[in-house]
Amino acid sequence: MKKTSIVGKNVRKLDSVEKAMGAATFTTDISLPHMLYGKVLRSPYPHAKIINIDTSEAEKHPGVEAVVCYKNTPRVKFNTSATSTFTIPPLQPVEDQYVFDSVVRYVGDEVAAVAAESMEIAEQAIKLIKVEYEELPAVFDPLEAMKTEAPLLHGQCKEGRNIPGEKIHMEMGDVEKGFEEADEVFEHTFKLPVQKQAQMETQAAVAKVGVDGRVTIWSTTQTPHPSQRILATIFGLPYSKVRVLNPPYIGGGFGVRIGLSAKAEPIAMALAMQAKKPVKVVYDRKEDFIASDTRHSGYVTVKTGVKKDGTFTARKMRGLLNAGAYCSWSAETPGVLGAMGLSVYRCANQMYDGHSVYTNTTPGGAMRGFGNPQAMFAIESQVDIIAEKLGLDPLDIRMKNMMKPGDQWVLPYKCQSSGLEECIKKGAAAINWDCRGKVEKGSTKKRGIGVGIGSHVSNAWPFCGDYSNAYITIHQDGSVLLATGVPDMGTGTITTLAQMAAETLGISFDKVSVTFADTESTPFDIGSHASRTCYASGIAVVAAANDAKKQILQYAAKKMEVEEEELQIENNNVLAINNPEKQLPLNKVAVDAHLEGQQFIGVGKIVPENAPPWLAHFAEVEVDTETGKVKVVKLVAAHDVGKAIHPQIVEGQLHGGLAQGIGYALSEEIKYNDKGQQLNDGFHKYMLPTAVDIPELEAIIVEAAEPSHPFGVKGVGETGLVATAPAIANAIFNAIGIRFFEIPITEEKVYKALLNKENE
Amino acid sequence: MAKTVLKMILNGKPVERLVSFDDTLLDALREDLGLTGTKKGCGKGECGACTIIMNGKAVNSCIVPALQAMDAAVETIEGIGTVEKLHPLQETFVDYGAIQCGFCTPGMIMSAKALLDKNVVPSREEIKEAIAGNVCRCTGYLKIEEAIMAAAEMMQSQQGK
Amino acid sequence: MLKDYVQPKTVDGVLASLRQGNARIIAGGTDLMLDMKAGKTEVEKLVDINCVDSLKKIEIVDGSIIIGAAVTHQEVATSKLIQEKAPVLAKACRTVGSLQIRNTGTMVGNVINAQPAADAAVALIALGAVAEIFDENGISYLPVEELYLGVGQSKIDSSKQLVTSIKFPSLQSGQGSAFVRLAQRGALALPMLNVSVVVTLSGDKVDWLRLVMAPVAPKPVRATEAEKMIQGKQVNEETIIATANAVASQANPRDSALRGSGEYRKSVLQTLVKRGLIEAFAEAQK
Ligand code: FES
Ligand code: FES
Repeated sequence: MKKTSIVGKNVRKLDSVEKAMGAATFTTDISLPHMLYGKVLRSPYPHAKIINIDTSEAEKHPGVEAVVCYKNTPRVKFNTSATSTFTIPPLQPVEDQYVFDSVVRYVGDEVAAVAAESMEIAEQAIKLIKVEYEELPAVFDPLEAMKTEAPLLHGQCKEGRNIPGEKIHMEMGDVEKGFEEADEVFEHTFKLPVQKQAQMETQAAVAKVGVDGRVTIWSTTQTPHPSQRILATIFGLPYSKVRVLNPPYIGGGFGVRIGLSAKAEPIAMALAMQAKKPVKVVYDRKEDFIASDTRHSGYVTVKTGVKKDGTFTARKMRGLLNAGAYCSWSAETPGVLGAMGLSVYRCANQMYDGHSVYTNTTPGGAMRGFGNPQAMFAIESQVDIIAEKLGLDPLDIRMKNMMKPGDQWVLPYKCQSSGLEECIKKGAAAINWDCRGKVEKGSTKKRGIGVGIGSHVSNAWPFCGDYSNAYITIHQDGSVLLATGVPDMGTGTITTLAQMAAETLGISFDKVSVTFADTESTPFDIGSHASRTCYASGIAVVAAANDAKKQILQYAAKKMEVEEEELQIENNNVLAINNPEKQLPLNKVAVDAHLEGQQFIGVGKIVPENAPPWLAHFAEVEVDTETGKVKVVKLVAAHDVGKAIHPQIVEGQLHGGLAQGIGYALSEEIKYNDKGQQLNDGFHKYMLPTAVDIPELEAIIVEAAEPSHPFGVKGVGETGLVATAPAIANAIFNAIGIRFFEIPITEEKVYKALLNKENE
Repeated sequence: MAKTVLKMILNGKPVERLVSFDDTLLDALREDLGLTGTKKGCGKGECGACTIIMNGKAVNSCIVPALQAMDAAVETIEGIGTVEKLHPLQETFVDYGAIQCGFCTPGMIMSAKALLDKNVVPSREEIKEAIAGNVCRCTGYLKIEEAIMAAAEMMQSQQGK
Repeated sequence: MLKDYVQPKTVDGVLASLRQGNARIIAGGTDLMLDMKAGKTEVEKLVDINCVDSLKKIEIVDGSIIIGAAVTHQEVATSKLIQEKAPVLAKACRTVGSLQIRNTGTMVGNVINAQPAADAAVALIALGAVAEIFDENGISYLPVEELYLGVGQSKIDSSKQLVTSIKFPSLQSGQGSAFVRLAQRGALALPMLNVSVVVTLSGDKVDWLRLVMAPVAPKPVRATEAEKMIQGKQVNEETIIATANAVASQANPRDSALRGSGEYRKSVLQTLVKRGLIEAFAEAQK
């Protein structure tokens, strides 16, 4: 690959100074003249019919300017996840939600909303809304919800009781034959918890309706363009009359904002349309917990056939996820779970079946990793079980079976690059794998080392549609405006895109500005998710930059009387490659063109392929056998990211993913009581890690360039927690010889398992 | 709503503002004074996004009654540096990649500042303790701790001069 | 609705302010603000005690340590005096919530809140602390142990009474203490269990022991049976194990959906007690 001068450098992130100064604007910071405050009334029941709703007292309450419920909002069904806007036919999006409905399906479901002059008044007013409910039977477990006696949440589903969308089936080779060829067959079922994104800024939206009927929505969405499409459809407006934008910052996302989960946007919009004033809806932390999508809980079963030497001959997987009350991403997540689970190891005979099941709990949706962490906890735990049984080193069995470029797999795109072997080797060195099992075992504190590997995607295709557009405009002074539809939710998107634009154009980084995440100033992009921005949006940006560059060179070729092919742009100068004396500053070229009535405007329109990033995680743990407490001592994440456009950003993504992975493995879980209420609905009750819970972290970047991206990039946004939980679980096994089939592995679970082991 | 005047020294300047008796200091800063740099992540003292420095100590402004700040010296993220001269912590948070979404950043920096104002040679443990009440969901805290260490060194050499 | 907020400068001023209207004392305010916002507490007037200088002191008088009502957890945790003369309390205060919370929340407020697992209260009971109470009838004293009525309910009525300080004897040589805590994470977490120990040795025998554990009942519990059992015993492993085993009979932790089953906590409690005893003995033998 060509030597780069901006790509690969830790340039100052474009958003960071503003953020360090407290000057960056988030949705929750927006204030407009005459703005009202919206508050939502939520269901206290997990499943109930609204027999009667009387809003008259609330309407009369002084200071209240709008009250909305199912009676006066559009009866248009939709899906809050952006999926509905890019489901690929013949599949159809599952549209099972209204802004408000006459049936509530989980505790926290939206019943009505009020807009008032102040938050206090809005809070008082929702208490004045009288709702008469008829309670309906509720079901909380996906296995229960499939039984014939279970209540139907959304009427008959074509694939089975309470099953949203289509069941997923994948197959290659002949699984039964593969099991026959095996010397040993292993089968285990793993149970996964509800994890919460717990992004620091809660779901929020501000809606403003102009006198001309145009609507502007400032939103925390990760996908402004798809969200625009959902909102315009609900309210029957032309897309061009609905502007969705980030203001421009978002306080984290981790998937919960792919679309408009928890509906702050349509609710703010409905209130603003009725009040004819701007309305701000900011959910409090509890609302964010109980009403916005979570990671799917569920069950994953893996059956693997193995030869004595450790070669996999067959693998059969089954995924059963808890969809919660509405479909959201529940039709897609089981697919990613299966596809990722089957794509890490070479195995000629594989099969997967999976689906979700509606229950009366908070909807499951997108969270970092999107089914993959669920899959890999199961797969990687089982690979260790197999290694243990066959007496193989966990690294050897992985090296033996791991996918390599050119190998057959279930995915419709090719694996064209892999640095997995390098990841495993470097990671093993960093964790001191050779000392595994050799560490002196203290009497009550036991240490262990474990590994987990995995892969992921670099965009959403083939699970959903995926494409990107970008504009590059060259100003008359040679500086550049890049327009891209993707948000920057903290992942460094705009910085890395600007780096790729500057590198491609041959101009300095500080000459690039970015307008982003605004449906009015940027072309369609499906948004920031699926680890796709650097890869897919990056390809579009490079295409736009190349288009602009071509125009510049064409124009300059005439001026300089040199063949276009012989020109290049370097350091803001157009120069002849073979005769560098011959050059024109870009600002001169741009202003000349301008005076002759031309601006260089590059357009990038791309449909990406896809590419697997590869990863190996290593954990060292210490188990306190007298309390069951597991302390992670060190975590190493070695990732093949293809090319790190900005290594510091890549490390940051990995560190953040690791921290969420520690939580997923050991402490984070949302539980429900028998009334369907979340028990862990705040930061004090939901055990995400604090600074003192984080062990030594080491991020190792491996770069096996990916041919399908101009700079060799692969996705990295989600990979940091794909294999963290199994690495920790495997380290725990190494320490105390106990295998956990369920996460989080809390102190109590460890303690009880130790007692049981003693009593055996 | 019953209101009264809150007087305090805010970022070095005396201010007076009409506030409600039941306003929190966070309400007063964000709503009444328009200082939205201080964030609200939970409103219950459980995340640290609203951390400000009151009389030299880091506090969660979401659970401090506004009137408790009467006559107090209050520092917020807006008051500690300028674009021309960033505070060392702002400088290092930017340069060390300690900022991702940025929503925890103001509170995190204020917690760190309260520490460094008293102790420019903090140990890693002291740094961790100082920010243990500041939840960050993006960074895994490592680059934040590195940034604070680096800022401490900057401040040491500044004070040495 | 809140209509007034006063900051008297003297204890008398506080009591006078309490007399008018539906008033309540606020110190750190940590919990009170939340209760008010959630509509759990209806108050018209808040009486802020932070301007009363006499309530902000940590001092030692005739071998007794006195901690004023406006002293924060962090002030206790970092006080040289407390670290030396009552390390169990410094440690307990240091584990509360987060630094920001410790910087505003007061130790006395924490005790009056009467939460079953209040870290400071557990240590104070082990230290044999007594609260000094001012009200219309004058001054009275009550052991911290007796302040609890039930979960979240204190004998102190903060709309009429002011606890001005808490007082306990400072630890002497030959005495040792320990605070041991199990929580789901390192900060921002209530304890699954906490144990405080204060012990006096004479030679290599236990003179007396105070052992407090929580949350194993609606209020912190003194392991009186274990305390009795250990009296006069030799300091050795056998004694430690026997004592740890003896606490179980008095601990009845309930199943908590958030912080572990009763069975688990009851069982692990013994480990914590054991660790606490080892630490306290070591300190006493120094
Ligand atoms: S907003 Fe104050 S601690 Fe979370
Ligand atoms: S940078 Fe996003 S929460 Fe810390």
